[in-house]
Amino acid sequence: MSVTALDEIKLYAFHHHHYIEVPEDHERYRNSMIDYSNEHFDPELGKALYDRHLRTLVRADQLGFDGIAINEHHSMVYSMSPCVSLHAARLIGLTQNAKIWVGGTPINLMYPNRVSEEYAMLDVMSGGRMEYAFPLGTGMEYWSNEGTINPTTARGRFRESLDIVLKSWTEDGPLRYDGEFYNYRYLNPWPKPFQKPHPKCFIVGTGSEETVSLAVDYGLGYSIVFVPIPNQLRAFARLRELAEERGRTVTPDDLIIVVMAYVADTDEQAVAEARPHIERFFSWFHRVTPRFLVPPGYVTTKEFLRRASDKAMAKSTEASWDDMVSIGRIACGSPETVADTIVGWCEEAGAGRVNVVLENGDMPEWKTVKSMTMFAEEVMPRIKAKLARGRGAAAPELAAAGAR
Amino acid sequence: MPAYREDHYELNGIDTAVLSAGDGLPLVFLHGGGTVEGFDALLPLAEHGRLIVPHHPGFGASADDPAIDSLHDYVLHYLDLFDALELDELTLIGLSLGGYLAAMLAIEQAQRVRRLVLAAPFGLHDRDHPTTDLFSVPDEEVLGYLTTDMSVFEGKVPMPPTPEFLAERYREATSLARVAWKRNYDPKLARWLHRITMPTLLVWGEDDRVVPVAQAQVWASHLPDAEIRTFPGVGHVLFAQSRAAVDAVGEFVAAEVPA
Repeated sequence: MSVTALDEIKLYAFHHHHYIEVPEDHERYRNSMIDYSNEHFDPELGKALYDRHLRTLVRADQLGFDGIAINEHHSMVYSMSPCVSLHAARLIGLTQNAKIWVGGTPINLMYPNRVSEEYAMLDVMSGGRMEYAFPLGTGMEYWSNEGTINPTTARGRFRESLDIVLKSWTEDGPLRYDGEFYNYRYLNPWPKPFQKPHPKCFIVGTGSEETVSLAVDYGLGYSIVFVPIPNQLRAFARLRELAEERGRTVTPDDLIIVVMAYVADTDEQAVAEARPHIERFFSWFHRVTPRFLVPPGYVTTKEFLRRASDKAMAKSTEASWDDMVSIGRIACGSPETVADTIVGWCEEAGAGRVNVVLENGDMPEWKTVKSMTMFAEEVMPRIKAKLARGRGAAAPELAAAGAR
Repeated sequence: MPAYREDHYELNGIDTAVLSAGDGLPLVFLHGGGTVEGFDALLPLAEHGRLIVPHHPGFGASADDPAIDSLHDYVLHYLDLFDALELDELTLIGLSLGGYLAAMLAIEQAQRVRRLVLAAPFGLHDRDHPTTDLFSVPDEEVLGYLTTDMSVFEGKVPMPPTPEFLAERYREATSLARVAWKRNYDPKLARWLHRITMPTLLVWGEDDRVVPVAQAQVWASHLPDAEIRTFPGVGHVLFAQSRAAVDAVGEFVAAEVPA
C-alpha cells in the first residue's frame, strides 16, 4: 500500500442540512425522499433548522476550519438545501476566512450559463473565497425534476454543461456554442469569476470511470462521495494513472475524501454519543429504494448488473454498525484517535483535503457544537503536529545520508 | 402450430432481430415497452399470413442503440426494415408502445399499411382516463399492472428475480426512457389521426390497468374507419392472456385475404 507524505491537510466542515425530524411512524415509509410527502414539512421547524445550520457553519469559520462545505439535493429530508447558491450567499456575508466549497447544483438541472453566472457572482461577492464541485446529481434528482431532464442522457449532458461553464469562465465572450444539448448565440456571462482562471473546481462522484476521466480531461480535482474505502482508493489510483498518461500531475490538493467524525474525551464516549445518530443517518435520512437510486439509463446495464449482484449494496440501509465502520470513513473517538485516523486515511489515499461531516442524522445541536469545538481545539493541532513529525522524521535520515 | 425462425439484419449498424413464421401477406407485430411476456401467443396469426415480429433496438434480441432517442427514430428504423424486407404493403399490429409506433407509421405511410390493429396503444393524452406512467410504479408491482392473470409470466419471470433478469428489464426500461421518459403520449397525436384511413381494429382488455379501455372510444372518435373489440377480465398484455383477442386479430387480418 502506498503512503503519501503530506505537507498539509485542509479540513472543511461539511454540512448536509438535514431536516432533523424522524417521524414516530417512520417504519411505514419506504423512502425519506422523492415520494415521502412534504406534508411532513413543518415551516416552523424548518426556520429553526435553517437558523441552527447557519450557526453551525458560521461557528466552523470562527473555529478555524479551512473551509465550509455545502451541497444541494432535491425533495428529501436528507437535505433542506435545494438551492445551494442561496446558502452560499448568506454564508459569504457571515463568515470571514473560510473558503466556501459549494458541492454543487447538479448542472443538468439548470441551464449551464445560469450556473456559470451564479457561481461567478458568488466568487466576486466573496472576493475569491469560493470553490466548486460539480455533481452529476444522484439518481433521485432525476425523479424529482422535470421530465426533460432525462437520466439516459445525464452523463452526456453533464459533460457538455461542464464544458460550457468552464469555457464561459476562461474565454472572453461572447462565445458561440453549438452542442448536442445546448446552443448559444451569445454566451457572455456577466460577471466572470474573481479568481483566475477560475475558482478551484472538482468533480463529485462515486469513482466511476466516466467521472474520473472527466476530472482528468478538464484538469479538475475529484471529490469522492461516501463509498467503501477500497473503491475510493481504486478511483484515486485510476485518476493518477489517467492523469499521468496525459502528462498531468495530481496533487493531494486535488483529492477530497469525506469523513464522518465525532470527537469526545474517550473512544468509548465518542461512539456512545455518536452511534445512534450515525445509524439513523443510514436508516432514515438516506432511506431510499433501489428504483430511485438508479433511474433507467442513469447507469449502464452492465453497471446495473454489478450493483444488483452486490448483496451488501442492495441492503445498505440495513447495514450494521460494524459494517458501516469497516467499509466507510467513520472516525469516532478521542482527539488522538480521530487525528490518527484522518492522517492515516489521507496518507493512504494521497488526499490533502477532508470534508468533515460533524453533524450526522438526528444529532442534537449540543453534540455537534461539543464535537466540532473539540475537533478544532484538539484534533486540528494534533493533525498539524503529526504532519510536521512526519516531515521531521524524514529529515534526520536525510541528514544522516548527507553525512555519509 | 408453426414455430418462429429468428433472423438478424444489420440496419444502420444496429443488429436487429426479426422473428417470423408462416407465409403470405406480411403481418408485422410491433411489441410494447418490454418483451418479458414473449411472443408465442401470437403464433396462431401465422395461419393468416407471414407473421413478422421484429425486436426494437434496445429490446429483446436486438442490439442497443443510444442514438435512438425519439419515437420518430423508431419510425425511420422500421421504414428501413420494411425496405430491407421488401414489404411494400403490410398489415401492422401494434401493442402498447408498439401501438403508438404503428399509429405513427400509419399516419406517415398510410399507402403502405393495408390494415391496422392497435392493441391498447399508448400515445393519446386522455385527461379523463390517463395512461399509467409505468416508470412511477414500484418494480415489484409492474407485472401486476400488465395482466390480470399472473400465469402468463410462468416460466418467463424467475422467482425471486435474478440479477440478470433485473438487468435485462433495466436495459429495456432504459431504451423506453430514451423515448418516453418525459411522457408516454404526444399531445399532438390526435390532430393527425385522420390520416389513418385504412380499416383499423382497436382491441383492448377491459381490465387494462396501464391504458384504460375507455381510451378506445377516444381513438375511434378520431379514426375514419375503426371498430372496437374488447375482452372482459383481460389486462394490458392481452394477447398473452386471451386467445380470443388473438383470434379477433386473426379474423380481422383474414378479411383482407381473397377467399
